Amino acid sequence: MSRRKRTPEWEFLRYVTLGQYLPTGSFIHRMHPAFKLLVFGLLVAAVTFSQTITVNLILLVTMVVLVRLARVPVRHALEGVRLALPALLVMAVFQVLLPPKMVTMAGSDGACLSLWAWQRFVVTDCSLRLVVVSVARLIELIVLTTLLTSSTTTTELAYGTEALLSPCRRLGLPAHQLAMVVTIALRFVPTLALQMERIVKAQTARGADFGLDGRWRFIRMIRRLLPLLVPLFLVSLRRSETLVVAMAARGYTGNARRSHRIRQRVRPADYLALGIAGAFCVLMFVLDFKA
Amino acid sequence: MMTGNHHAIEIRELHHVYAGPGGGDSIAALRGIDLTLPAGQFVALVGANGSGKTTLARHINGLLLPTHGQVQVNGWDTRDRTAWPHIRAQVALVFQRPEDQIVATTVADDVAFGPENVGLPSEEIERRVRQALETVHMWSCRHRLPHLLSVGQQQRVAIAGALALHPTYLLLDEATAMLDPAGRQEVEALLQRLHAQGMTIVSITHRMEAVVPADRVIALAAGRVAFNGTPRCFFADADRLAELRLAPPPAVALAIHLRRYFPDLPTDILTVEEIATALARMWPGEPTDFSSPSSSLLCKTIAGDCPPAVTVEGIQYTYMSNTPLATTALMDAQMEIHTGEVVALLGPTGAGKTTLLQQIAGLASPQMGRITLFGRDLEELRADHHTLRQWVGMLFQRPEEQLFETYVGDDVAFGPRQLGLDRDAVRERVRWAMEMVGLPFADYKDRFTQSLSGGEQRKAALAGVLALRPRLLLLDEPTAGLDPQTRRDILVVLERLNQDAGQTIMIATHNMEDAAELAHRVYVIAEGEVIMGGPTRRVFCQQDSLVSLGLESPAATVIAQALRKRGLPVPMDVLTLDELEAVLQVSMKRRGDAL
Repeated sequence: MSRRKRTPEWEFLRYVTLGQYLPTGSFIHRMHPAFKLLVFGLLVAAVTFSQTITVNLILLVTMVVLVRLARVPVRHALEGVRLALPALLVMAVFQVLLPPKMVTMAGSDGACLSLWAWQRFVVTDCSLRLVVVSVARLIELIVLTTLLTSSTTTTELAYGTEALLSPCRRLGLPAHQLAMVVTIALRFVPTLALQMERIVKAQTARGADFGLDGRWRFIRMIRRLLPLLVPLFLVSLRRSETLVVAMAARGYTGNARRSHRIRQRVRPADYLALGIAGAFCVLMFVLDFKA
Repeated sequence: MMTGNHHAIEIRELHHVYAGPGGGDSIAALRGIDLTLPAGQFVALVGANGSGKTTLARHINGLLLPTHGQVQVNGWDTRDRTAWPHIRAQVALVFQRPEDQIVATTVADDVAFGPENVGLPSEEIERRVRQALETVHMWSCRHRLPHLLSVGQQQRVAIAGALALHPTYLLLDEATAMLDPAGRQEVEALLQRLHAQGMTIVSITHRMEAVVPADRVIALAAGRVAFNGTPRCFFADADRLAELRLAPPPAVALAIHLRRYFPDLPTDILTVEEIATALARMWPGEPTDFSSPSSSLLCKTIAGDCPPAVTVEGIQYTYMSNTPLATTALMDAQMEIHTGEVVALLGPTGAGKTTLLQQIAGLASPQMGRITLFGRDLEELRADHHTLRQWVGMLFQRPEEQLFETYVGDDVAFGPRQLGLDRDAVRERVRWAMEMVGLPFADYKDRFTQSLSGGEQRKAALAGVLALRPRLLLLDEPTAGLDPQTRRDILVVLERLNQDAGQTIMIATHNMEDAAELAHRVYVIAEGEVIMGGPTRRVFCQQDSLVSLGLESPAATVIAQALRKRGLPVPMDVLTLDELEAVLQVSMKRRGDAL
């Protein structure tokens, strides 16, 4: 069907890649949650501090390898990137045209090559490199996050967080409660997406026009928002009320003296993974530093 | 401190008062309940809306505490905070809507939630999760995401979550109300199995057929116990049932009516088998041997030359296409609906009924195939938003959750205002729609939407769609989760719309009685394909095919077939109890004349 569509398709769930666990049972899925989070943290650090194109190339390849290892379809992992693409493009254009001071300063020292100049806009090879690196970094971060959420259930995430935060409990940090709040918030993401979809469809069926074209569409969208938010808010309130009762009925008291189904023993493989990730991270730093 | 009976729930002089909003009038939900529920029984807890059933259930596992009186579970007093973990592990509670009680994001994690709260070691939790999921036949789905399961499956997960606590008492608060026949039968069979293994079951229900197999019925009225005894005794008293605002199950209802012609009919008939046997015994003369299908009677037919309102040709639709979670909801669906017809879409949960209705309403376009509405291509119509909305109106599932205006009148007026009508026209339409659904305009237009009862909210939502005066009305499960009286009101509205105004209606439902009463024709959908279609009578005769699809025939059809098996001259395509009564009366008279 190539006909132009006036009424958009509503499938909000499609855009919720966060918390979409894909049970493929890979090694990455079976890792100890706390260790997985540590490895994740190390990789995030490696990505964040990467400066050079070489390092980012290596990182990109690593991400693809990890996605393959987790047996997550590459397309699924890239879905988040696709959604972020417009924002990435805008950012790239701004960074090319208006690079941060330090890059232009370097340019005046003669270390950078001016490629194109018009009035006060100067494009140098330094600023181009900076853009490539920062776009690559964002893509790597998105893929990494998708990889984490699609290989880890929220319960495991919460358990991992709780385990990592437990040393802070002595400082009065409510590690358990925080972890439970995160679990429930994530559990509600797809539910709310589904609910929103139903409300939008129901109101369209009653004549509301959510078609996103025509003049004043921004104003129209804002005006449409209130009728959407009221039922969404009411339903969420009612749901959370019942959920609280249902949790209490199943013996939840809110204290940390619960046990966990997934108190899996830490396996040598977990230490190995952490070690490899640590070494990898150091290697990346060294490569960056040399360049 | 443990006192009293260690193998029973004991409730003494229980009163419960809910504080009114903002310190306003308080509401006495329970006014002096005295009950003993010994372990091992299957108890059905019934009563009209607002009679206090849910409040009582929440007292039993200590979610609510008595305003006055005492509740003891196996000797533990619910007021004793230190006893709560014991009580919650002894008494598991399952609620009406499974999606509200699921805590975790995978099936197995959710089932583990209860045992984790009790602090069991992880090996024991794992063992219990497996056992509980195997009991409800969901072990193979343990890694799945609950929000992508069918409602029936979700409810089984919720029950598994309760079972994993190894409770002595399992309390279910209308746990089957949202399920389709197959899902409901699965859950009911599961309860019977658990009961046979010695579990005490307390089931709150509106569905009187589910009360029949119980050991004991407890009926509440206005916060007091109005009856406590066997189902047989409970249903024998028609006046009491009426007083409690409860409808008897179909076999009992028929027996009550037939007693006028057969005064000797036993007063304690409960099941289809019992009434068929009793009638066969009392039938004047020998039963006729009679196996050929008889002609249908009272046939509601619609002239075949009415122009088609909707044609659906080869529709295909896949959700989340091009993602790892893609699911095909419709494959090659075909159907035709004529102007002035009421057509029911039947099928198990997940069959594609909702998807199909949304396609016809133009809310999503099919990936393949074509839909024509009143002779125009739907894709073309979608560009003409205004016309489309005046041609098709759709009432969604649980529409009461989608009301958003502060006042009822404004909510109903939302649609007409979108159409750009002037003030008077809008007012006129709102008045008409509200009167139509039985919410008098003058009384209700300025009421707060959120202060209406659930049933009234459903009616207000229906009025909101009717106010658009759509040529085609689509309804998705319009009676699901309603109490019997509100359900009847809604059916009457729809019937009047069709008969007086010739309204074309499509209704997706898993309530066979709705279809039997309303629909001229029925389409049965399974796994995204239309597999049966035809006049309601003809489809409902095919009991075996329906059962194999996880559906069922209407109760009157089931009784009629049981009577035929015993040689009574009853046509096989009876749809409602009134029809069955009429048929029996006529054939008895004929027989009396012949003798």
